[in-house]
Amino acid sequence: MNSMIKIKDLEKYYRTEEVQTVALNKLTFDVKEGEFVAIMGPSGCGKSTLLNIIGLLDDPDGGSFIFNGIEVAGFNERKRADLRKHNIGFVFQSFNLIDELTVYENVELPLIYTGVKPADRKKRVEEVLEKMQIMHRRNHFPQQLSGGQQQRVAVARAVVNNPKLILADEPTGNLDSSNGNDVMQLLTELNDQGTTVIMVTHSEHDAKYSHRIIRMLDGHKVTEDILV
Amino acid sequence: MFKNYFKIAFRNLWRHRLFSFLNILGLTVGMTACFLIFTYVNFETSYDNFHSKSDRIYRIVADLKTPTEVINGSGPSWAVAPHITEFPEVETAIRVMQNVILFKKGNVKFNEPEALFADPDFFTTFDFPLVKGDSKTVLTEPLSIVLSETLAKKYFGDEEPMGKTILLTGDQLPATVTGIMKDFPENSQIKGNVVVSMTTITKKFNARLNDQWANYSPYAYVLLKPGTDAIAFEKKLPGFLEKWNGKEMDQLQMYPTLFLEPMKDVYLRSTRGGFVTGNIKNVYIFSIIGFFIICIASINFINLTTARSAERAKEVGIRKVIGARKTQLVLQFIGESIIICMIAFILTIGLIALLNNSFNDLSGKVVSTGIFNNLQYVFYLLLVALGIGLLAGIYPAFILSSFKPVTVLKGRFATGANGNLLRKSLVVSQFAISTALVIGTIVVYAQMSFMRNQDLGFKKDQVLVIETNGDSGAKALKETLKGLANVNQVSLSGSVPATGNPSAYSEIENIKGELQKANLDLFFVDFDYIPLYKMEVVAGRAFSRDFMTDTTQAMVLNEAAVKMFGYTSSEQAIGKEFKQWGREGKIVGVIKDFHFQSLQQPIKPLTMRIEQGNMDYLSVSLNTSNLQSTLATIEKAYQKNIPNRPYSYYFLDEFFDRQYKSEEKFGTLFLNFSLLAIFISCLGLLGLASYSTMQRTKEIGVRKVLGASVPNILNLLSKDFLKLVAMSFLVAVPVSAYFMHKWLNDFAYRINLSWWVFALAMLIALTVAFLTIMFQTLKAATTNPTKSLRTE
Repeated sequence: MNSMIKIKDLEKYYRTEEVQTVALNKLTFDVKEGEFVAIMGPSGCGKSTLLNIIGLLDDPDGGSFIFNGIEVAGFNERKRADLRKHNIGFVFQSFNLIDELTVYENVELPLIYTGVKPADRKKRVEEVLEKMQIMHRRNHFPQQLSGGQQQRVAVARAVVNNPKLILADEPTGNLDSSNGNDVMQLLTELNDQGTTVIMVTHSEHDAKYSHRIIRMLDGHKVTEDILV
Repeated sequence: MFKNYFKIAFRNLWRHRLFSFLNILGLTVGMTACFLIFTYVNFETSYDNFHSKSDRIYRIVADLKTPTEVINGSGPSWAVAPHITEFPEVETAIRVMQNVILFKKGNVKFNEPEALFADPDFFTTFDFPLVKGDSKTVLTEPLSIVLSETLAKKYFGDEEPMGKTILLTGDQLPATVTGIMKDFPENSQIKGNVVVSMTTITKKFNARLNDQWANYSPYAYVLLKPGTDAIAFEKKLPGFLEKWNGKEMDQLQMYPTLFLEPMKDVYLRSTRGGFVTGNIKNVYIFSIIGFFIICIASINFINLTTARSAERAKEVGIRKVIGARKTQLVLQFIGESIIICMIAFILTIGLIALLNNSFNDLSGKVVSTGIFNNLQYVFYLLLVALGIGLLAGIYPAFILSSFKPVTVLKGRFATGANGNLLRKSLVVSQFAISTALVIGTIVVYAQMSFMRNQDLGFKKDQVLVIETNGDSGAKALKETLKGLANVNQVSLSGSVPATGNPSAYSEIENIKGELQKANLDLFFVDFDYIPLYKMEVVAGRAFSRDFMTDTTQAMVLNEAAVKMFGYTSSEQAIGKEFKQWGREGKIVGVIKDFHFQSLQQPIKPLTMRIEQGNMDYLSVSLNTSNLQSTLATIEKAYQKNIPNRPYSYYFLDEFFDRQYKSEEKFGTLFLNFSLLAIFISCLGLLGLASYSTMQRTKEIGVRKVLGASVPNILNLLSKDFLKLVAMSFLVAVPVSAYFMHKWLNDFAYRINLSWWVFALAMLIALTVAFLTIMFQTLKAATTNPTKSLRTE
């Protein structure tokens, strides 16, 4: 399998007036296409920072980040946005749905930004809502849904564009175990269909769904457990 | 994508109903106020624009240099217009004079106060269209009259008026209707509802008038030929006067200078008076207020939107994560802002349509016939709404769209110090504007009250003035009234305060013993005038029946006249000689200065003399007991003694105050717009206060748990806002003091800008601001702390 992500000596600092905190310290690792990687570590170890950089939401301060064979470290916001919207889907702990939009409209939004025609949008949104078993709630607003249902909508939104990569940041953190398992099942299915998944989690249970666990401490990789 | 934006925008509006309501209400009220001001300013600046030749029409005015002063007059002498046509540059020259004329048709009598006398070219020069009659000839013959459509209806009903006769000045003069004109437009500086041919005066009554160079009276206008350089033409006028009037000027020591005022400037910019006058300063003041009000409304918009940015931050983050570009977000937020403005625009149209008539009443004239009659105005308003949407939307749009998704999605978002500073500065500017307007309002009202309550130097209460128009029955009426039970005194005179009076070229012995020439104001009075008006005699005596010569050889001066001739005390003037309009004699008394004109004018030197003719007013000092029956008795006596004229009377105090009508209208408009400005500012403050208390819910809870009382919390929440209002005061004071000082300069007698004006304004601003935020803060302060802490 080809490497989708090649990270080498990645650095990220957070500066305040007096203190400089190292969030990522010469981090190096690869993720292959179709892999399911879990990133674990205590709070403040830099895993969310890493996810933001992989998701092209943040810029590294040093090192190299090659995405699909292209060096993306140093891309401007516009280029990052373009790359992101065609290739990456996000799932967050707190779902991050837009409260003013219905389930359908939330899922439709990425397709609007990628310029998909309305007729195609309808087809694709409906397909993905069916797949996530949330079609019956299509006209509801996020506040009218349970946490599990909201996360299903968030996953639907993340996959509606058929991204090559899904980044999940504590996807089960706000869910009970039953709903959490459902979401993990969904991610596994997506991975089985070829989507690369990188997940940040505190949960050993969730991490077991992945192929490989990267454990981090103080901004660098300490161990790597290969599960499959 | 736009559909998505619309959805979000409307759902957001609905979800945050209070903010949306405050925003839309503020914008609606602001745009309405601004639009009404625009119509007012537009109307004021439109005077005389409807004359197609207005670019070539000039009013001829004259400065008159006498040995003592330079008088800035509004009209040249009678001879100027007939002779100025000798210049090849001049197409036409017209004199126009307004007069009260008594009209009689059958048994119906009316005093027409807006009657004009005008030269034959009146209708070919000005665009006052004729419905009937030939504009070239309607005013050629003496005793020709052109009636307005309204007046034609009044006198003739459905009858054909052309060629019919109306009797002028009672029964004596039969005038023929030679034309019917459309009613003059409201924005005409020349006011009249009937035009009588000037030849009626110059051919029938005083054939020499056309050659009188030292007799000043009517307004005169000149139409220059196309391409004429008015400034170059004006330079030829001194030579013209010298040629025709040089000798007489030297002899009288009266040296006129002629100037040309562009027709379009007469109403707003001339300081020499006119049929009606406006004030360019008021136009500027209202334009500034309009601009300020729209700024305040836009500031609200910016403040409320950026204050709520925390709530929109998450949405921005999500949109960015799933691929939105910054420009797309900027467009989305500007679009939302425009949507709000469009809603406000629709409401504004409705509100303007509703308020149109009330605003006309308020401004005292028909400034607008309704917004739907001027569709281009609707378009302008639409542009303004779009402009506000764009301008007020840009800042919040850029702020919101520049949020970093990483930060906002983590919930680590906090409104930046910059945003807070900006909001605070904007609140300070809003309240500075509002407080400045409050100060302005207080000053205008204080000045009005000062003028109304100022001791005018004469008795103006309980004095009834009857217009006798020089009728021969006036003396008999005076005698009849003297015998009535509730009548204290009666006096017949040529002038009463505030009616205007003639001025006479006079010679009075000065301190050096020389006869000094001067143009002096003149009151024709009788023996009862000075006692009736309780004028104070400071030297010598008032006119008295005990002195036979008083009717022909005596004059009374006011203190200003005494000073003009160099005397340091009033006593020095007693017994000095005078010559005036064919009369010679001695000064017998000096009266204390009194305001015979409005308080905008300084008290000018005045002469008084006993006269038999030209007595237009009968002043009656009354007891107010049984007033209704006394008035009825007086009217009966009038009908008996002056049967040929309609009865017209007024109370002097009301009449005197009517001089301040335009100031009063100005004050009322100022007050109303200031109230609106404060109202809109308070809407913004209310929004910010409710937002800020919402944000501090947890802090309030913690403080209450730790023992803070309700007043403590109230103090905590209010003081930040009140500090801003207090700061705004520091900006408002110097600005308003500067402008109001300039405004007051128009009044010869005026109030001082004392500290209490500013203190009162600050008190009002603080109270209004406190009351506005109190509701929100009180609600937060009295909430059970367990509730506030649970929101965490």
